[in-house]
Amino acid sequence: MAKEQSYFEWTAELFRREGLFDKPEALQGIRVLELTTLILGPSTADFLGEFGAEVIKVELPPGGDTMRYVTPRGTFWQNASLGFFPENHSKYHIAIDLHKPEGQALFRQLAARADVVVENFRAGTLDRWGIGYRDLSAINPRLVYVANSGFGQWGPFSHGRASYDAVAQTVSGMIQITGFPGRPPITCGIFIGDWFGAVMAATAALVALHHRRRTGEGQFIDYAQSEGLIRSLDWTWVYAGLTGRDRERVGNHDRALGAADIVRCRDGFVAVAAVTDPEFRGLCQAMGTPALAEDPRWATLAARLEPAHAEAVRRQLADWAADLTRADVEAAGEKHGFAAARVATSRDRYEDPHLRARAAVWDHEDGLYGAMVEQGPAPKLSATPGRIRWAARPVGWHNEYVFRTVLGLSPSEIQALEVQGVVGRWAERMGAKPPEGITADGSIA
Amino acid sequence: MSTPDAPASARPPWAEFARGMTAPERAATKPEALDDLLVLDCSTGNFAGLFASSILAEFGAVVIRIEPPGGDVARQFSPDGLQHHGTGLAYLVEGRNKHHVTLNLEDPEGRLLLRRLAGKADVLIETHRPGQMDAWGLGYRQLSQLNPRLVYVAISTHGQFGPRAASPIPDHDLTNQALSGVPYVTGEPEGPAGPEPHAVPTRQGNWAGWYFGGAWAAFAAMAALAWRATSGRGQLCDVSPAEAEARMADYGLHWYHSHRQIWERGGAFNPSLYPYTLVRTRDGYAFLAGFSDPNWTGVTNIMGRPDLRERFPTMRDRTAAEKQPEIHREIEAWSSQLTSHELLEKVMDYMLHKRGPGTVATARVNSPKDTLDERHWWERGVFQHVEDPHYGRLLLQAPPWKMSRTPPRLKWACRPVGADNPRIFARYLGLPPSELQALRARGVI
Repeated sequence: MAKEQSYFEWTAELFRREGLFDKPEALQGIRVLELTTLILGPSTADFLGEFGAEVIKVELPPGGDTMRYVTPRGTFWQNASLGFFPENHSKYHIAIDLHKPEGQALFRQLAARADVVVENFRAGTLDRWGIGYRDLSAINPRLVYVANSGFGQWGPFSHGRASYDAVAQTVSGMIQITGFPGRPPITCGIFIGDWFGAVMAATAALVALHHRRRTGEGQFIDYAQSEGLIRSLDWTWVYAGLTGRDRERVGNHDRALGAADIVRCRDGFVAVAAVTDPEFRGLCQAMGTPALAEDPRWATLAARLEPAHAEAVRRQLADWAADLTRADVEAAGEKHGFAAARVATSRDRYEDPHLRARAAVWDHEDGLYGAMVEQGPAPKLSATPGRIRWAARPVGWHNEYVFRTVLGLSPSEIQALEVQGVVGRWAERMGAKPPEGITADGSIA
Repeated sequence: MSTPDAPASARPPWAEFARGMTAPERAATKPEALDDLLVLDCSTGNFAGLFASSILAEFGAVVIRIEPPGGDVARQFSPDGLQHHGTGLAYLVEGRNKHHVTLNLEDPEGRLLLRRLAGKADVLIETHRPGQMDAWGLGYRQLSQLNPRLVYVAISTHGQFGPRAASPIPDHDLTNQALSGVPYVTGEPEGPAGPEPHAVPTRQGNWAGWYFGGAWAAFAAMAALAWRATSGRGQLCDVSPAEAEARMADYGLHWYHSHRQIWERGGAFNPSLYPYTLVRTRDGYAFLAGFSDPNWTGVTNIMGRPDLRERFPTMRDRTAAEKQPEIHREIEAWSSQLTSHELLEKVMDYMLHKRGPGTVATARVNSPKDTLDERHWWERGVFQHVEDPHYGRLLLQAPPWKMSRTPPRLKWACRPVGADNPRIFARYLGLPPSELQALRARGVI
């Protein structure tokens, strides 16, 4: 029966969004405890959570994670920062004052019941609080502990030096190889070092869990986001080693692929890449210059990579695209078999039916914030699809639930911790507090 | 609840302890996390696939890299076409730890040999146009019947399902980047002078689309293996590098959803954070961050300009589009009197001596060779000179994770096309030399 289906009929059924929640989750039964701020740490835990891990996010009351205050032009939405949503999905939000010994003890009890701990404080901070890897591995030898940072847990730059995503972009050399020659350097428009670091760190956590399945042993992972970006700079380092030369920034074209550039057309910008011989022949057909592909200067990839030859093709491409629309260039790519794609705006992605059908753009109705549209889980897994259950929550939102169900504390014990200031909840402040009309016990007024 | 008995001060310093656990010079003496896995990399002209299999190989998986008999076109991708012993520079970076064989998948005999390998494999990675492997009888539909435990990772710009899945366009880095939404928000905005060649949406200089896609593909494989350990079953992992990078495109979708605002590129200015920017120094540029209120206090203390925090007291003030250039001019008037190193010294003096509140971060914009000159990375084993028997001495970026029990490692750089045919085909399929010779004569290997 399956043989009669076309491949795409079969994949449409295999990845059908309806019924997605009835499928199992890859990481079910894994509990992640995170003590993190901004993006690198929170998204490491979030990626595990999207695929079924239970994530308990610990924040310091009453303000919580700094990302709760990062929002474009200071504009909050239903009292929340927009910056807090994309790395905090489906988590249980609790707030513990970790400067207090009782708070540290509470964290140790949670870690004793966790499979993975993720933190991104400056090196040694948790150790000083008595909740670092030395302390936690003594009570839970099966624990996988991910320490995310800018420069690592040891080494000359690790001592007292603060880091952010763009520090990693700077020290790794990424900024120097990005942008146009002769212009001031620019940072990436997104927090690229954080996000890339998070998927790398989350992958290492999964690798460590694989080792744990084989041996029962947990372990310690030191991940520095600057070092992750260094790893991602493809041929930069081998080029320096073999030629003694520094890689320079060259704008939007690609010195290693030949005919690949971003070009301006009538209604915006479009990226084109025609790398292999058949792709390049297709591009030449589309441009109405099929003879170009037979000319020895462009007939082979090696010839097309000659800087002068590459430059000539770039000019030809720019002239051809200038009078077309983005859709025209994309259609030419479809017809002739080279890569062409619009330089997408957030609105392009928001309105794209393809991305909606794939739940790469995920719409859901959240219990607290109502209708939401966010980027969905990145890889699509046929048997255990990733999912978003609910959006981020205010500081300390799940205190009662977590302390009751995970640690078995009674309501009066939880209340006593609150009175002592060991456990806390949101400040009456934009970013930390719930939307208007939500009462302190979490019910809707 | 109890507090720890031993005072933290009785222990060796954290950095020393952490280094002891993760020292890269001892990595080779420790076990490898994934050495129970067999991975087939059938990617074609695609560094998302190659990076994914590099990650698994760095963690110890046996990776068989399958190329067409003439070698994969990815071996030609190289800056200005530069070749080293017949291979391009980019491939020398991602050939690591892999066993290189050849198989002609256009030939039924080649496909049969791949099926036999897939029967024994744990993970298969491919980057053909969606449906191509299926048409060859090598898709997940067919191979999962042969080996239900197989984790099949398919990488393609538009993915394996959805309205554009059947698109014939090849998967390339630049088009993946363009679709992710990241170039649209990166680069210099158009000035009053109108269009200029450098004031356009800007790609990351490295292959960010491919490397992000590859990292997510490795994550997907590890998540699927976790599910296999529970269920005994493999699955199809559909990875679009465009969506992989889009997952990291901050909160652009959220902003459009909440306020119908399209996120535009801002050059030096991020709409949510200031200062979080590159500033001119006496000898170039440096990154400087201190955007939250306490951290802005730190920046203005170091500058000796308390008046600035009175003029721009809140994050909302500092992220207003019209105020950012004004603050920027004030900071640059100060920073351009200092070298980037002097700026770092001032910041570190403030931080290490706790001369006031706030965490401030800075870093010189490094060229790749500046990064190579810094001791920190060499001490941490971030770079490695690999002595390769065929390719000689190569400077390569090492795996970025430090792990206490199963550290990843870089064992060899690359192999010539088909160099491992005799050993791999004997080991896994029992093919004797005479048969290999016949297969070679028929163009199968």
